[in-house]
Amino acid sequence: MHDVTGEIIGEVPVIATAGLTKHYGTVHALTDLTVTVGDGVTGLVGANGAGKSTLIKILLGLLEPTGGHASVLGHDIEQASQEIRRLVGYMPEHDCLPPDVSASDFVVHMARMSGLGASSARERAADVLRHVGLEEERYRPMGGYSTGMKQRAKLAQALVHDPRLVFLDEPTNGLDPAARNDMLRLVQRIGGEFGIAVLVTSHLLGELEQVSDHVIVLDGGHLLRSSATRDFLKQTGSLLVEVIGTATERDRLGDALARAGLSCRPRGAMVAVDPPPPELAGEGVAYDVIRDVAAELGLGLMRLQQDRGHLEDVFLDGATRV
Amino acid sequence: MSEISPSTSRTGVIHDLGYRRYAGRRDGTGTIARTLFITGLRHVYGLGRSGKSKILPFLLLGMSTLPALIVVGVVVLTGLSELPLTYAGYVNQTQLVVSLFAAAQAPVLFSRDLRHRSIVLYLARPLSAPVFALTRWLSLIVSILLFTAIPSVLLFIGALLAGLDVSHQTTSLLKALCLQVLLATMLAGITGLISSVSLRRGFAVVGSVMALIVLAGVVTAVQGISDAQDSDGVGVVAGLFSPWSLHSGLANTWDAGVSVFTPPQGAWVVAYVLVGLLIAAACGLGLVARFRKVGAR
Repeated sequence: MHDVTGEIIGEVPVIATAGLTKHYGTVHALTDLTVTVGDGVTGLVGANGAGKSTLIKILLGLLEPTGGHASVLGHDIEQASQEIRRLVGYMPEHDCLPPDVSASDFVVHMARMSGLGASSARERAADVLRHVGLEEERYRPMGGYSTGMKQRAKLAQALVHDPRLVFLDEPTNGLDPAARNDMLRLVQRIGGEFGIAVLVTSHLLGELEQVSDHVIVLDGGHLLRSSATRDFLKQTGSLLVEVIGTATERDRLGDALARAGLSCRPRGAMVAVDPPPPELAGEGVAYDVIRDVAAELGLGLMRLQQDRGHLEDVFLDGATRV
Repeated sequence: MSEISPSTSRTGVIHDLGYRRYAGRRDGTGTIARTLFITGLRHVYGLGRSGKSKILPFLLLGMSTLPALIVVGVVVLTGLSELPLTYAGYVNQTQLVVSLFAAAQAPVLFSRDLRHRSIVLYLARPLSAPVFALTRWLSLIVSILLFTAIPSVLLFIGALLAGLDVSHQTTSLLKALCLQVLLATMLAGITGLISSVSLRRGFAVVGSVMALIVLAGVVTAVQGISDAQDSDGVGVVAGLFSPWSLHSGLANTWDAGVSVFTPPQGAWVVAYVLVGLLIAAACGLGLVARFRKVGAR
């Protein structure tokens, strides 16, 4: 099944939508979205305005869809949105922390708002704040926090009631590279070690390549693709060749390879060789041809590697399809 | 004794237990709403917040109870046969302080969450936007009611200590408390709605002061003029436009010890009660609509 992500055979999917549509007047935020999300980390990718936040808000019951259906953890979003909000956590994209309260007090309060008793709320808050990495600063008012600390506090309030699913909306927004890696590692731990299903959005494809098991790509409210991350990154069968020199040397190699029967085209400083034709498809035959051609021309081979797909390619494919 | 290895000398080793799931009790919506209500009530008086935020509410509470304490002292010591002013009259006399309290503290409940956008975190939890808005409203109503009832109860205790007629005092107090409930509901609705729309605290306070204090002043002036001009009808109608004039007008007619220039008579009494309830209901609906809209953003 192409549209199904995750190991959901025989189980209730974490999220399932059918023909989900949201229009604001003439603005089409989501159009006929049908996806299924399973356990683990699922990345939701798209440019700003692609419909990621809209989808999350509909699933939380904060927005009413114009059409279609959806269920979260087996509960229908229209009939049981309160039950859903009991079972999920939400980390919004924007700032949402009162500046005059400490993270510790705030997370305890949010735990109580999810139905935990006073003592378990305190215990869970301390636990979760430790997991997200807020140490002594948890007792200081959040107004003085750095962006990284604020993101951690936001994540802590989303996890404090031990949800079965968390929506993380752009958790790496505004973070420096080190903090970004910490956050991504944390996201991965939540989906794996913690056993909480994660739907994480980002407009940066590279990030989700690293942490998510499955990726859903939205573009302008439409579903471009939904499948396991490894499918996006699988080897395409093409080869990338780079030789020492400038574009002149690159083109000489390209011409010679074409004469040798390998169709190819320039890509940056490299030559991208398409999957070899049947007569050259044997194990290592294409490599030998490339090596010999380079040697004949007297060019220094610098790189010869298999080409892999990128999440970005989905947008290129999608652009041609749409 | 020979060297102690580090592992035996350290007793307080912290073990990372990893992530622990929570399998305990989860309260229903009613309990969550009650928690929110109590937290809101405490926050209005600055309890559970910074020391600075306790100053204003308690200063105002002091200002509104001090005269009551003085009255109690005078009545007990001099053995007056009657309180120098009635329970409802006392609230009417301190309307400036009560209005300031409502205006200054409503933003605590209605602006903060919207301004800092933490409302989204609440609405992603079991309580829905309408329940959230109504619970907040109830917190403010009870805070204002406490603010006006504390001096009333102090006066009552003083009256009992002075040996005044218990049944008369009790009736008078209960009438005043009934009127205070209506008053607190209106004040909380008006200031809450203003605070939830203008998120800057300064604007919210100024707006509420305009709506409560300035408007009440204008109404009283109109009533005074219409009384002097012998056109009481105008004054009675003007009384519909401020929660304070509704409160004092009803108190006058109900014989709760307040006198206004143009008390409502006959069907106007019903109109006063209905308008009071209508103001409260409209503000409640306004708050629900406001929080619904914010939640969808």
